[in-house]
Amino acid sequence: MAVDRIFKDEASEEKGDRARMASFIGAMAIADLVKTTLGPKGMDKILQSTGRGRAVMVTNDGATILKSLHIDNPAAKVLVASDISKVQDDEVGDGTTSVVVLAGELLREAEKLVAAKIHPMTIISGYRMAAECARKALLQKVVDNKEDDDKFKSDLMKIAMTTLSSKILSQDKEHFAKLAVDAVLRLKFLVNGTASGWAQRFLVEEVSYPGPDALSCCFTSAFFFPIDQGSTNLESIQIIKKPGGSLKDSFLDEGFILDKKIGIGQPKRIENAKILVANTAMDTDKVKIYGARVRVDSMSRVAEIEGAEKEKMREKVQKIIAHGINCFVNRQLIYNFPEELFADAGILAIEHADFDGIERLALVTGGEIASTFDNPESVKLGHCKLIEEIMIGEDKLIHFSGVELGQACTIVLRGASHHVLDEAERSLHDALCVLSQTVNDSRVLLGGGWPEMVMAKEVDELARKTPGKKSHAIEAFSRALVAIPTIIADNAGLDSAELVAQLRAEHQKEGCTAGIDVISGSVGDMAQRGISEAFKVKQAVLLSATEAAEMILRVDEIITCAPRQRENRM
Amino acid sequence: MVVTMAPAVSLPRASSSKTESYVDNKRKEDIRMANIVAARAVADAVRTSLGPRGMDKMISAASGEVIITNDGATILNKMEVLQPAAKMLVELSKSQDATAGDGTTTVVVIAGALLKHCLTLLSNGIHPTVISDSLHKAATKAVEVLTAMAVPVELSDRESLVKSASTSLNSKVVSQYSTLLAPLAVDAVLSVVDPAKPDQVDLRDIKIVKKLGGTVDDTELVKGLVFDKKVSHAAGGLTRMENAKIAVIQFQISPPKTDIEQSIIVSDYAQMDRILKEERQYILGMIKKIKATGCNVLLIQKSILRDAVTDLSLHYLAKAKILVVKDVERDEIEFITKTLNCLPIANIEHFRAEKMGYADLVEEVPVGDGKLVKITGIKDMGRTATVVVRGSNQLVLDEAERSLHDALCVVRCLVNKRFLIAGGGAPEIELSRQLGAWAKVLHGMEGYCVRSFAEALEVIPYTLAENAGLNPIAIVTELRNRHAQGEINAGINVRKGQITNILEENVVQPLLVSTSAISLATECVRMILKIDDIVTVR
Repeated sequence: MAVDRIFKDEASEEKGDRARMASFIGAMAIADLVKTTLGPKGMDKILQSTGRGRAVMVTNDGATILKSLHIDNPAAKVLVASDISKVQDDEVGDGTTSVVVLAGELLREAEKLVAAKIHPMTIISGYRMAAECARKALLQKVVDNKEDDDKFKSDLMKIAMTTLSSKILSQDKEHFAKLAVDAVLRLKFLVNGTASGWAQRFLVEEVSYPGPDALSCCFTSAFFFPIDQGSTNLESIQIIKKPGGSLKDSFLDEGFILDKKIGIGQPKRIENAKILVANTAMDTDKVKIYGARVRVDSMSRVAEIEGAEKEKMREKVQKIIAHGINCFVNRQLIYNFPEELFADAGILAIEHADFDGIERLALVTGGEIASTFDNPESVKLGHCKLIEEIMIGEDKLIHFSGVELGQACTIVLRGASHHVLDEAERSLHDALCVLSQTVNDSRVLLGGGWPEMVMAKEVDELARKTPGKKSHAIEAFSRALVAIPTIIADNAGLDSAELVAQLRAEHQKEGCTAGIDVISGSVGDMAQRGISEAFKVKQAVLLSATEAAEMILRVDEIITCAPRQRENRM
Repeated sequence: MVVTMAPAVSLPRASSSKTESYVDNKRKEDIRMANIVAARAVADAVRTSLGPRGMDKMISAASGEVIITNDGATILNKMEVLQPAAKMLVELSKSQDATAGDGTTTVVVIAGALLKHCLTLLSNGIHPTVISDSLHKAATKAVEVLTAMAVPVELSDRESLVKSASTSLNSKVVSQYSTLLAPLAVDAVLSVVDPAKPDQVDLRDIKIVKKLGGTVDDTELVKGLVFDKKVSHAAGGLTRMENAKIAVIQFQISPPKTDIEQSIIVSDYAQMDRILKEERQYILGMIKKIKATGCNVLLIQKSILRDAVTDLSLHYLAKAKILVVKDVERDEIEFITKTLNCLPIANIEHFRAEKMGYADLVEEVPVGDGKLVKITGIKDMGRTATVVVRGSNQLVLDEAERSLHDALCVVRCLVNKRFLIAGGGAPEIELSRQLGAWAKVLHGMEGYCVRSFAEALEVIPYTLAENAGLNPIAIVTELRNRHAQGEINAGINVRKGQITNILEENVVQPLLVSTSAISLATECVRMILKIDDIVTVR
């Protein structure tokens, strides 16, 4: 008895090999797209928006490219939208391109194995073994300089430079690496309050994955979270972009910069400032009922009401002044009248500070955002040593220095155009994320394809020892790992086949530190060139890529639901 | 060259062949080509407007508005380019405008020339990142060379400042007025320099008022304030006030209005009479209070909620002999209070004498077919300046304003970075010579790329000569020759049509304009080179 129809109109179904092929091809296409951005000689992409204004963005950042793509293929979406690259960007901050490329390579290898009649489940278990083995190989090789402050700092510098060398900031990487390291080291001693928040957030994420995914998530979290104890709160590092000047003119400023103006007739410089940060309407408190109106029978009454309104405003201002402050920052507008009152009282008032601005300001000055002013004693005021107006480029900004939260700092980016600035910000963000991760977990590896080769070697060994079909999958894993140095070399226009073979030979020696030196175009000593990467990033790349590949491998049927219910979670 | 290159290539590379690691790069090459071609097209569009004999462009906007200009930034801004790489050149010109204010055409022309040379380098098979790195090095070196060429200048040396301002103005429509506008720009900038912060100038402290009519000759710098408004007056109101006591008010002299909606209920005729009387009484009361403080000029901020003044209040104000200017924008309040050295008054109750500013004369002057209000002889005037620009038609007027803005920027650059450099293509040729020599000592691809950079810079003198109708090849080769003999200040004298010592001809420009043009153009070119794909996103 045949069932005519299981699905709704327009819903479609693809089964078996066809489904697998579709998902492999989709994922590989994405990997191929971002492949060319990998490595220090990776190229940039122009992202042209189809929306209004046809805005143009130039970027080298894998996460940004992936985020903005239109994707229809469900497997490709797994790589991009749902978790893999996003998790990598959020949690680790760097290595997004590597994840996608590695996952792509793993699938490419898997495709061949599937064609050779090896069951996907066998491939998966082989991949799992290989991933575990690779991770162990890395763990053996890590260097931890946590005890030695100087060495640790130089490690950080190296990591920052390695991260930045593939970005737009590569020419001034020393300058920016120093900026980023200084900024992150200021954070290092932050009160340890955010770790629990992180764990919590992950728990929530875990719950939201149904079925086998939750398992694999736990699998990841086992590796991720026991380590994550310090602070990765990058919020107190503020990045301000100002066009003009060149990238080299960017600087780190100790303190906080607010891109606003000081009211007219008010002091432009305040020492030992007491700051009240508020979010309150400074016009008359209106009755919030629609259509409320007053009826009067003469002009003088109208004048009286107007007077009363003014009086209310004055009262509010008086209350605010009664807090004993000399700086008032409001999220909403401060109108002319209160502004004048503040000016008369010698208080610096800043109006219309954006939401981000006041949140940060409250955070760094140690104040709280207030919206009522009846109990001055319960309001926590912010403090800072000096508020003054400074000029960057053509604009005047307000500078708060000597703030309560000592580690707060502002990085002012300068650059030729908005494209440059945006890209610089993304690059710097990556560097900052990686650094703050490294501050927590100070284990460091060498870069330039070195870790991949180390892993490949160990995985190869494992393949030889493992009996059965699995060994094919393990061998394939090792080939996929080698693809990363191959791509780096290809992107630099080097002869990848030759270089990778040389590199493999080098790695047969004990204690080898060889990697691909893209600048001279040969195999070089990575320790000598100071090319380092954070262990955490590499580990995350390895595990997320394996997981992603695994997820896609498991698929044997794609059901495309009818357009209305588009919520299909693979 | 070839001999020096060979040892730099390491062993593994020697064995590399094209066959082994074949990657299909056709699409990437195509995209790079397309980008470069598009960007060059933009550069070519503005090329002819470079230099004192450069031509202007007429731009007819979609709205039917017509603009005639010679200013690179303006031309590019109005060109609605779609190609992403071409857009980047437009951005480039904007950044130069923000950094230096002048040289907006130069920067685009340099970028165009660099791209042209990069095309050759790319077709020789040099990797884009290598080109990009070499360009960066060359640009850094170029800035060093320029800095070494520069002559320091003192702010007290007014003549040099005027010279550099007139160099900027000479390439504009208003060049025949450069003798008038250049000193004017210098004086304006110098008058706003704060002795406490001598290297900063905020150009927002200089207000430019455009008024149609007259000729550019009538442009003047006013020590004081100028409003492009009429004095608001009812019959018999004042239009001139000596020994003015000026108050800037942010409240309105009109019948009261509350924030909450209100209505007055009139039940009989007598009541209406009373209300009218009360209204009169209310306004009269305000004016009396104002008069009591001795104020005789009111500047009233524009209000969207209610009338700033009514006919009735104007009538009373006229009787009280108070001059009124209404509809002052809120943005301008800061500038006005700074100039007048007074404080804004937001409430009648706060109307006190110490918040007022003082000036010798406030008067309404008929200018062309309109009128201006001038406030002069301000007591304790703040560091601001106002320039009234005149022109016979709107097009000239707009262009005059843009040119004046450029001149102001030039002077500002000199205040920020007090070095002058020769104009007339001299620095570019010198750079080209020195970088060319430097390229010879470099090894490998770098040397090759730096040499191309050096050659690309010759585009500036070449274009200058071409635009002036001279024989560009003859001029550039002679220029090269003179520089090789050590005359680092030899440049193209467009007026005489020959090579002379350009410093003696008073053709000078601020160092900042040249250095930022080179470094910004390089940065932009490097970005375009590194792009290998255009991805359409949502």
